[in-house]
Amino acid sequence: MPTIADKLAGLWPEIVMLLGAVACLAAGLSASARTRRLTPWIAGGTMALAWIFALWTGIDADHPLGLGGVVTYVKCLVLVLGLVLLLVCAGVPEGLKQTAAAEGARFDPGLSVRGEFYFFFLLSITGVMLTAGATDLVWLFLALELTSLPTYVMIAMTRDRTVAHESAVKYFFLGALSAAMFLYGFALIYGATGFTEFGPIRDAVAVSSETGLSDPSPLMLMGIVLSVLGLCFKVAAVPMHVYTADVYQGAATPVTAFLAVVPKVAGFAALIMVLHLLGLDRLPEPVLYLLGAIGVLTMTVGNVLAFVQTNLKRVMAYSSVANSGYMMLGLMAGLGVPGNALGNGPAAVLFFLLAYGFGSIGAFAVIAALAAQRSPDGADHTDATGVADDLEYDDLAGLWWRSPVLGGVMLVSMLTLVGMPPLSGFMGKFFLIGGVLNAGFYGLVIVLVINSAISAGYYLRIAMLTFFGESSSAPAVILPEGRRGPRVVGAVIAGIAGLLIGGLPGNSVVRNAREAFEPVPAPASAEPETVQAAADESTASAPAVARSQAAGLADAVPTP
Amino acid sequence: MFGAVGVLLLMAVSFGVGNIVLTHLLGPSRKGEVKGTVYESGMNPIGSARRRFNVRFYIVAMTFLLFDVEIVFFYPWAATFTKLGGPEGDGLAGMFLVRMLFFLLTSVIAFTYAWRKGVFRYD
Repeated sequence: MPTIADKLAGLWPEIVMLLGAVACLAAGLSASARTRRLTPWIAGGTMALAWIFALWTGIDADHPLGLGGVVTYVKCLVLVLGLVLLLVCAGVPEGLKQTAAAEGARFDPGLSVRGEFYFFFLLSITGVMLTAGATDLVWLFLALELTSLPTYVMIAMTRDRTVAHESAVKYFFLGALSAAMFLYGFALIYGATGFTEFGPIRDAVAVSSETGLSDPSPLMLMGIVLSVLGLCFKVAAVPMHVYTADVYQGAATPVTAFLAVVPKVAGFAALIMVLHLLGLDRLPEPVLYLLGAIGVLTMTVGNVLAFVQTNLKRVMAYSSVANSGYMMLGLMAGLGVPGNALGNGPAAVLFFLLAYGFGSIGAFAVIAALAAQRSPDGADHTDATGVADDLEYDDLAGLWWRSPVLGGVMLVSMLTLVGMPPLSGFMGKFFLIGGVLNAGFYGLVIVLVINSAISAGYYLRIAMLTFFGESSSAPAVILPEGRRGPRVVGAVIAGIAGLLIGGLPGNSVVRNAREAFEPVPAPASAEPETVQAAADESTASAPAVARSQAAGLADAVPTP
Repeated sequence: MFGAVGVLLLMAVSFGVGNIVLTHLLGPSRKGEVKGTVYESGMNPIGSARRRFNVRFYIVAMTFLLFDVEIVFFYPWAATFTKLGGPEGDGLAGMFLVRMLFFLLTSVIAFTYAWRKGVFRYD
């Protein structure tokens, strides 16, 4: 029975993140302007340090569901995406009118939001890491809320317009609804099994001897269904996708990039954990039908609605919906054969998250670095963060010829999202389709391919426009150096990453994703005795000490 | 066995009733229309509820909550802490002191943050 002390031993990356978040909060309120400007650097350093800690603490071999590898993979994944997102988002609080007012002649800490922005940024990512590491339903719920709550504030505070507040309120209320749904689901799971810990819940679910599939009680099944539906909000999948376009459009574009990636990683990590309570390899038929229906509806609704939009942020919002649909199918594909990445659906989802993440971040970063100048009255339509909310297809016309860097990143991002062969998006879809085919869902594969064709319509339209488009009115201008922050650097890194992980480095990522679902191998060593000794030593050290301490505590505290 | 509870109840009731009686006997008696209205935490009880009032009320309430919850956590800790120091406590007292100090530190951070943001400034 793992105790709190055991769990804390694996939480060093999260502890580092929390301390770094507090440091950001303090630095943002510092009296010295130099210290205040350091805040984004502290946030970046914290994430880099947390990444090292995540690798250092290693894979938890005692994970109750045997998913210790997934935990480490998701933690590293979200930290890598977080570092790129930080480049895109840095400069957002600095560009606000409010910050200019706060940092005028005399610094007014009451008005400043600089520290708070990076604080919430780090907290949300910490929430994803805790979601991945959850071993208990209560913990999972709290971690998911830690992911979402900061995002509501980030949307509201990074724009001087009421439309942002509207988005934040919409997101908040629908988020609360979804939280209520999956919490109800968790309560039913607890009611059906009598446990909140993952391990005992999994043991309590019966497995049918005829089919080899899980045979949960109706109450347990209802719990899983409600949890999945609630989590659909986090990943923006079909019954809970309605907020996506409005919220993504209303938020400042760098924050939109954050919304499109971070809650989605949390949602899929949570879905993998919740579904693995039944066993990803032996999901019962009702759950398969549910996932299949959500997947098909999500990708179709997302792609069709993206096709008819003209506002670029809305197009990308529905593209984000559609991509969730593809990944839903991956969840139902089962784990396949150990040692073979092709056929492991959830591993494909983990890889696809990375490919989708870089593609999306690249596209949003390019949109964030541009400002529309279409207004007939000549007024500047950008707001204080230097982000236009009304960027449309025409604004991208001939972007390549004005800025090869931004045009190139846009092209790579679009081709990644379409799934062109040399790029990471292709590998993602390849492994997803492989998994679904392996599981024998041929109809779903056909739907997926048709949807990819629809999505090519709007992705390639953007890609074509950046090269050959001729705008009738004045196209978007690139924001000046002082107003765009480092987001062009973020865009370039996202683009390069999207290119690279489609090639050879992608193989190792895919291998990592696949190995994440396999039992932790014993440490490689020539001498069997040293392996034994090392194993003895490692079991005798930290966890055992912690356990004995906890046992001592249990004796010391009088039982009522 | 329940005698102690009875004494406690008696003390509680007599403290409450006694205060009212004493105030009635000793305090000055000024009656008026405003004084006779329903007490609504300083708000005018009659009229539209859709009026502006200072957000500071909420901020003060939230800051109060911070310390209120902290004390709720302190109490069970303090009740068992003395037992941790003894021979059966296995020398856990130091560890638990540090843990509680860490918890205290989180509250102190929240407090200094509120202070720096000017929550306690009333000008």
